Amino acid sequence: MHEHTGRITVDGLGKRFGAVEAVRGLGFTVEPGLVTGFLGPNGSGKTTTLRMILGLVAPTSGTALVEGVPFASLDSPGRVVGAVLEAQGFHPARSARRHLRVCAAAIGAPDPRVGEVLGLVGLTADADRRVGGYSLGMKQRLALATALLGDPRILVLDEPGNGLDPAGIAWLRDFLRGFARSGRSVLVSSHQLAEIGQTADRVVVIHRGACVYQGELAGLGGGRRARVLVRCAEPVTLARALVAKGLMEVDTLPDGRLSIGGANAVLVGDTALAAGVAVYGLVEEQMDLEQLFLQLTGGVAG
Amino acid sequence: MTAVPSAGLAARMVKAELRRTLSVRMWWALLIPVVLLSLSINVFGGVFSSSLSGVGGETPGVLLASLAYSLSLGSVFAAVHGAVQSSGEFRHRTITTTYLTGGRVPVLLARSGVAAAVGALYALGSVAFGLLAGLLGQGSATFPSAGPLLGLIGTGIAVCALWAVLGVAVGTLMTNQAGAVVLLLVYVLAIENVLSLILKSGSGSGLDAGPPAIARITSYLPANAGDVALYDIPAVVLAGPRYGRDAVESLAGVASPPPGWASLVVLALWAGAGIAAAWVVGERRDIT
Ligand SMILES: Nc1ncnc2c1ncn2[C@@H]1O[C@H](COP(=O)(O)OP(=O)(O)O)[C@@H](O)[C@H]1O
Ligand SMILES: [Mg+2]
Repeated sequence: MHEHTGRITVDGLGKRFGAVEAVRGLGFTVEPGLVTGFLGPNGSGKTTTLRMILGLVAPTSGTALVEGVPFASLDSPGRVVGAVLEAQGFHPARSARRHLRVCAAAIGAPDPRVGEVLGLVGLTADADRRVGGYSLGMKQRLALATALLGDPRILVLDEPGNGLDPAGIAWLRDFLRGFARSGRSVLVSSHQLAEIGQTADRVVVIHRGACVYQGELAGLGGGRRARVLVRCAEPVTLARALVAKGLMEVDTLPDGRLSIGGANAVLVGDTALAAGVAVYGLVEEQMDLEQLFLQLTGGVAG
Repeated sequence: MTAVPSAGLAARMVKAELRRTLSVRMWWALLIPVVLLSLSINVFGGVFSSSLSGVGGETPGVLLASLAYSLSLGSVFAAVHGAVQSSGEFRHRTITTTYLTGGRVPVLLARSGVAAAVGALYALGSVAFGLLAGLLGQGSATFPSAGPLLGLIGTGIAVCALWAVLGVAVGTLMTNQAGAVVLLLVYVLAIENVLSLILKSGSGSGLDAGPPAIARITSYLPANAGDVALYDIPAVVLAGPRYGRDAVESLAGVASPPPGWASLVVLALWAGAGIAAAWVVGERRDIT
């Protein structure tokens, strides 16, 4: 039964492409009011999962439901879900406005909505140019405008940062947060933790097609989230001072630097100053997603 | 947002498909060769005034026959348009957006309907310019009487519309644009002719019982079926009711053709079969 909840429910989802098991036994829900991040390295099955949710790829096992029903049985899909996917093309000879007018007709959105979404993504000035001449970032914004045409309750985005400049990424981040705050759902994939870290309320992490973590972003990686690397005049003195401050994860790297886990640069810098140790270099290192996956899947973090 | 009735869905899909078709040049870019071919074929009465001995250019049947010939060629362009329209979605990877904003089967049906309308337009363009060229160029040619002319126009619209639908089916099934267009052209312009020759090769044995069953199959191949339907009316005007069937045989290159209306049904069955296959394949295909 179709309910207007804006919820996505994935259960036991699997997809096999010949010999490749792209997705296996995947289960998670996307709740309204939240930005759900969908994380995984390249080839981990993110795109395949999103396309199964959107009825573009048929699952070999399990179900993916949008508001309680398969995508294909939605009466008015464009009014329920808007999607920005990789490999979503445009006819090069059609202008952005004409492209949107085609989609508006299909969705049943009124024509003035075309001008609204063009303004929303900042394409008004270029709306009557052929899309063939657009940059990657402009195409990405046109894809977002298309997704928003039907004023949907759910947004699904596959690596939307690709092709956007830093200002565009920041704008998108704010936009997605605002969209979720208005009580609607966002599912956004990325292969970079940093890209999603500031946006997502919850994350689903997949590795080789299977879920390895889901829940609060803060729960990811625990105390090993970051480490500080420091090059200084007297490593032994600084190490003692740090241990005295209660920092237990202090190691000496082969290149002579100190590695301090669970600390931040301010704390390490202040400690060095207090101990009278000259600091030549200080690097704050976020654990990258690859390390995180290794940790989550039981490997050894590098 | 409550459930939209399916009539509303159909209307939305057709409107979207019309906008999709009209917002790119393809539809009139292919109308140009249709018109040019029709002009050049009809201005001299085509091949018919010379090949049919004893029939002068003043016979209205000649103009009807050359109009039928240009409609037959026009239907090839209608098919190419349908194939380009459907396979272009895969070439430009717009199929994802199209499927996200409308169901797969409604999209296929709306596309077939709009392509059929474009095919009908090609038929009308072909006849209008062909008539003009024929009356101007053939000098002594008389305007065909209304009955046969309207019959031919109706048949031409149906044949071009059905070929457009077949084109949509081929483009949806193959997805490769160049492949779909080449296959259509090679089939209609070469393969079916060769096939017809092979099928008829056994009928030259001089039996009084008429052509063997296998030769009769020629009338039921899709391009031949369209030609039989198109030449049905001109043949009767040219050769009279008694020898009309023989004229259709030689004009369409078939053996023992069924009546024109039956050939239209045959072509409609081909188009229906094509859409059914595209429906089944397109509904299950993974869009990755
Ligand atoms: N159409 C396809 N045919 C065969 N293998 C595919 C197809 N699509 C994806 N795959 C494979 O499925 C796996 C997951 O791919 P994908 O979902 O694109 O991952 P991601 O989006 O996380 O990079 C990869 O090994 C990829 O090669
Ligand atoms: Mg991907």
